[in-house]
Formats: sequence, C-alpha cells, structure tokens
Amino acid sequence: MELDLFIRYGPALLSGFGITVLCWIVGSLGGMGLGFLIACLYQWSGSWGRACLQAYIEAVRGTPFMIQLFILYYGGPSFGLLLSPVQAGIFGFIIYGSPYFAEIFRAGFQAVPTGQFEAARCCGMTEWTIVRRIVLPQMLVSITAPLTNFMIILTKETAILSVVTVPELLFETQTMAAETFTYIEPFLALSLFYWAMVEFTSWLGRRVERHVTRHQNRQTP
Amino acid sequence: MTENSSSPANALITARGLGKHYGTFQALSGIDLDILKSEVTCLIGPSGSGKSTLLRCLNFLEAYDEGEVRIDGQLVGWQDGKASPRKPVSATKLREQRRQVGMVFQQFNLWPHMTAAQNVAEALVQVKGLSKAEARDKAILALARVNLRDKADNHPSALSGGQQQRVAIARAIAMEPRVVLFDEPTSALDPELVGEVLNVMRDLAADGMTMVVVTHEMGFAAHVANRVAFLDHGKLVACVPPDEIFRQDPADPRIRSFLQTYRERNVV
Amino acid sequence: MDFSFQVISHNFPYLVSAARWTILISFLGMLVGLLLGIGICAARLSHHGWLRRAAALYISFFRGVPLLVQLLAFFYILPYAGVNLPATVAAFLSIGMCSAAYNAEILRGSLQAISPGQREAADALGIPPLALWRRILVPQALRIGLPSHINELILLVKVSSLASVVGIGELTRVAQNITGQTYRPLEIYMATAVIYFVINALIAWGGRRLERRLGVGQR
Ligand SMILES: Nc1ncnc2c1ncn2[C@@H]1O[C@H](COP(=O)(O)OP(=O)(O)O)[C@@H](O)[C@H]1O
Ligand SMILES: [Mg+2]
Repeated sequence: MELDLFIRYGPALLSGFGITVLCWIVGSLGGMGLGFLIACLYQWSGSWGRACLQAYIEAVRGTPFMIQLFILYYGGPSFGLLLSPVQAGIFGFIIYGSPYFAEIFRAGFQAVPTGQFEAARCCGMTEWTIVRRIVLPQMLVSITAPLTNFMIILTKETAILSVVTVPELLFETQTMAAETFTYIEPFLALSLFYWAMVEFTSWLGRRVERHVTRHQNRQTP
Repeated sequence: MTENSSSPANALITARGLGKHYGTFQALSGIDLDILKSEVTCLIGPSGSGKSTLLRCLNFLEAYDEGEVRIDGQLVGWQDGKASPRKPVSATKLREQRRQVGMVFQQFNLWPHMTAAQNVAEALVQVKGLSKAEARDKAILALARVNLRDKADNHPSALSGGQQQRVAIARAIAMEPRVVLFDEPTSALDPELVGEVLNVMRDLAADGMTMVVVTHEMGFAAHVANRVAFLDHGKLVACVPPDEIFRQDPADPRIRSFLQTYRERNVV
Repeated sequence: MDFSFQVISHNFPYLVSAARWTILISFLGMLVGLLLGIGICAARLSHHGWLRRAAALYISFFRGVPLLVQLLAFFYILPYAGVNLPATVAAFLSIGMCSAAYNAEILRGSLQAISPGQREAADALGIPPLALWRRILVPQALRIGLPSHINELILLVKVSSLASVVGIGELTRVAQNITGQTYRPLEIYMATAVIYFVINALIAWGGRRLERRLGVGQR
C-alpha cells in the first residue's frame, strides 16, 4: 500500500476536506434560505409572480449543476461577475439547491390548511408573524426528513465543484494521483471516504429527525 | 348607488349595495344590511345562497367588488374615495380593521401545535403586544368564559369538537372585538356537542356582544337572535325579527319552502 | 456586457449533434440501470441473507459515493483489470451501475404496492419464481413506479454531463471545446443549458403521456 503517500499529501487532502465541508454547509444553508424565500414569495404572489418563480425552479432543475457552474464561473465575467473558484462553488451551490429547497418548503406551506391562515388574519397578525408562529412550527416536523435528505444528496454534489478548480477533496485527490501516478488506491480510498461521510450525515439526519418529531406522539393522545 | 337608505344610529356594521362575483358567477348582489350594536343577527338560507360569502365580506376575507361595507362609518378593505377601480387599503390598515372583528369558523381552525391557552394568547402577544404572562392570564379568563379553564393546557387534538369550537370562540373574544362573526359554528359537530357551543354563544349574547351568526340551528335563530336575515341566491330576502320568519305563514314563499324542510324534520 | 446571439446560432448545430451523445449515454445508462436494478431489487428481497446484505451494501455504496468519483475510479480501474472498453461504453456502464441502485429502490417501493395476494395466487398455481418476477411482478412494478423512473432518466441526462470529465465528446464536452475556440463561455453554456432543458422537458412530457396511456395512478 502507498500509505506514505497519504501521509505526504495529508495536509492537502485535509484542506480539501475542509473546503468540501465549507462549500457543503454554506452552500446548503444558503440554498435553504433562498429556497425559503422563493417559497414565501410564491405563497404571496399573483399568478404572474408564480409563473416567474416556477420558471426559475424549472430552469435550475432542468439543467446540469456542472453547466450552472460553468455559466457562473466562466460566463460570470461577461456580465461583470468575477468569482474565485470557492466563491463560484458556494454561489453555484446556493442556486443549484434553491429550487429543491423551495419545493420542500412549498409543500410545507401547502400542508397548513387555509383556514389556519384565515384565523390568524382575523386576529390581525402580520403575514410574517403567521409564517413565524403558525406555519414554520407546524412545517418543522414534516420538512425535516426531506430537508436532511436533500442535504445528504448535496454532500455528494460537492465533488462536482472540482471541475471549476475548487480545491476540494476530489480536486486534491486528483492532484495527488496525477503527481504520483497512482490512481487505484487514492480513488478507492476516496470512494470509501465519501461513502462514510454520506452514511454519517444520514445518521446525523435521522437523529435530527427523531429530535424534531419527539413531541409528535405526545400531542395526539 | 349607495345613498339609498340611511343607517340607524346604533348600527355597527352597515352594508350597502354589497355585491361579489366569482368570475362570472354573482354570489352576492345588492345586499343592504345593518348590524346593530349588542344585537344578534342570524343569517339563514339554503346551502350556496351566499351566507358565508356575505359574512366573509364583512371582514374582507373576501374582497367584495360592488357596494360598501362600513364599520363605524369607516369603509372596510377598500380605500374610501372616488377612485375606480378601488384600491385596497394598506396591509397595516386592514389588520387594524380586522382586529375589530372576531371570527369563528365551521372547522374551528385552531393551530394544532399550540395548547388551548396558547391559541388564545398568541394574538394577544403578537398583535396586542401584551407580555406572555398578561396574555396567559387573559387567555385563562377567556377560556373560563367558555367553561374550559381546566383544558387550558391541552392541545386541540386532545379536545372534543365542541371544546375545540369553544376554544376558537375564546380566541376570538379575547381580542375584545366589537363584533364576532360565526360561520356555521356547530355544523361540524356531533349532535350531542352542539348544545354546549350554543350555550356559550347564548351567554355571550346575554353579555351584550354584537354577533352575526350563520346557522342552521333554527331554534337558536328563533330564540336568541334579535333579527334574522334570510338569503336566497345571493339576495337578501328579508331581515326582520325572528317571529316574522318563524310564524306559521311567512310572507315570502322562498322562506316558507325553506322552513318547510325543517318543519318536516320537526326542528322548528 | 455584450451577448452575441451570432456565436450561439453559429455553433448551435455542433451542440445539437453533440446532444445525441448525451441522449445515447443517458438512455443506455437507464437501460443498464433498469436491468441491473431489477436484479439487485430481486437480491434485496431474496430469501438468502447474504444476497440481501450484498444488495443492501451495493445500494448503499453506489448511492453514497459521488457519481463523478465512481466514474473516475471506474475509468482508472478498467485498464488495471485488463478490460479494454470504448470510453463511451465505460461511461454508460458506470452511470448505469450507479442508477441501478436508485432503480432498485424505486422498484422495491413499487413492489410493496402490489398486493401480496397476487404472489400467493402465483404460488398456489405453482408458477416458478423467475416467471413470477418476469411476467407478473416486474411489469406491474415498472408501471407503478413509472413517474419515479422517468425522474431518474431526467437525472441521468443531467449527470451524463459528468462524462465530459473523462473525455467523452458529449454535449458538455463539446461546449467546453467550442468555448475554448470562441472565448464565449456565457453564450455557449447558456445555449447548452437550454438544450439540456429541452431534452428534459421532452422526456417529462413523453413520460406524462406514457403515464396517461398506461393509466398510471388510476386504480
Ligand atoms: N372561492 C369561490 N369560487 C367560486 N365560487 C364560489 C367560491 N366561494 C363560494 N362560491 C360560490 O358562491 C356561492 C355562495 O357560496 P357560500 O357563500 O359559501 O354559500 P353558503 O355559505 O350560503 O352555503 C355558492 O354557489 C358557491 O359555489
Ligand atoms: Mg357556508
């Protein structure tokens, strides 16, 4: 085995891993925020606004993440958007994830009966208060599973960032492989590593889910 | 078009020439109605006659498109003026107007993630700006008025339909509205639970609460209402004291045939 | 900012012809994924504990590792193992192997919707297991899960862009090449995105028609 190889390239791989995690966390939280915003806008838009938001959702979901990254990173300068690879990676992640998150939140909104909105409006609550106090707490239970699920999917999508030279884990591994002419071991090790990471986040997701739904049985006798 | 009749001095809500379309379908037309202070007005009529629509126009849950609704002389929902088409009032203004009007729904519409007390206290904190403790105290008082003090910390799912509806009534009255609108408050309840809700409503009426009640409980309309309004096909057929409706030979044939179905079931 | 439609119109034919490779890779990948997926699903539900565990491991691994990493590993391992395949074949095989894990899980879900009574009826008639799967279970399950399988196909069209990384001249790769010559990344990649979008919209449309034709969702 080429163990000394991994030791020699340890720091680079570690920093690659750090960037993977950074892009994943910042990107998916940002995507979640943007998705939530889109879902809120959708909830309170007229038919024209909804058509526009739907078009955005379909456009982003209908195209490969890689092409979106290329448009941002290579095409960005054409409209004055100069991004470093990591910036482009995070920004791309936010855009790529937003429609999927938006759909999750939209389903959450729809699960709250209109009567509850009306009751709140009759009490004189603002729309934001309604979202914060009536809708979000109820959604929380139903959206946790799809949210964590999609965040797990996103952990894998971080690998694609390597194509715009984001120095994340896959990129560093490729560099190491190219410099040392060893391919099999690094890539098998990398596969196992991603696998472990995904299994770990799934486990974490299930724990979060259990934590959030812990009151559910108490409410219904 | 709307100056056809002046309203009595003690009118809280006045509707003049009120109309509402859904697409090309005219759900309401030419409604002239006064809701007097401290009175109970019952809205009756066949299913689909526009009772809910009328009620929901009064607090602008439905945007009426003809005529006007005024609470204390102030136009509800639309900006007062000659502009055509009319512009809606600001969201802040609308919330202010709605705060004066409580509403109780057929399906209760309680918020399932909150206890009974939290359901009642929520708007007191969020809208009236009361502290949590003050709001809870008021909520408990309101729940006591509907005989539910001991259920304050139960979630709606742990309450019967009748209890849920009473919580909804407490939620509406805790905001100290000037009028409470009821849209078939007992229609979703099992028959044996109807009484407890009607009793609470009767108590409220006795306390001088202004109420507008859409109902199929003819007994309630006959004995508690000060006036009964009969709607048919989106038009107000009559708005008169209950004994003029419930006597043996009502003036209007539409009322007669409507009540006939109830008489056959020995309800009236 | 100057956006040149001329660059797009000039290069559009090249992009469209490259899109054929995208479609080929993703459809063949789907075919491999379905066939392999049926086998893995059968293994996942088999009576043999070790087969079940192996299938579960396969599903977990291929769903847990980024496809791009799978693709690269596959391309490095093949020559090492002495297998010589055309790159395109290797690409759709690799995509298919990954897709098999997802299709197997979709199938498993669909099979649960088929009443156990059918299986018992087949057992009572003495129908051998292979025939039961081939003639009774799989056709129904594919039909029930059709919307999900269509979704999977759309996903494959998108991930087929990863094949560009291992040098296959599909849509994304050709777009990169054209960009290298024209220095017009915005226009070219926008046009590429539109082509992907149209392919996926067509698949979604065709899928809906097929669903209606087969009466999916109606009982
Ligand atoms: N949102 C809506 N869109 C279209 N038609 C409606 C809508 N709401 C009510 N209607 C129609 O308006 C008429 C009156 O409805 P409603 O006020 O609910 O009657 P009621 O409460 O007396 O049973 C009915 O014919 C109903 O079909
Ligand atoms: Mg009604």
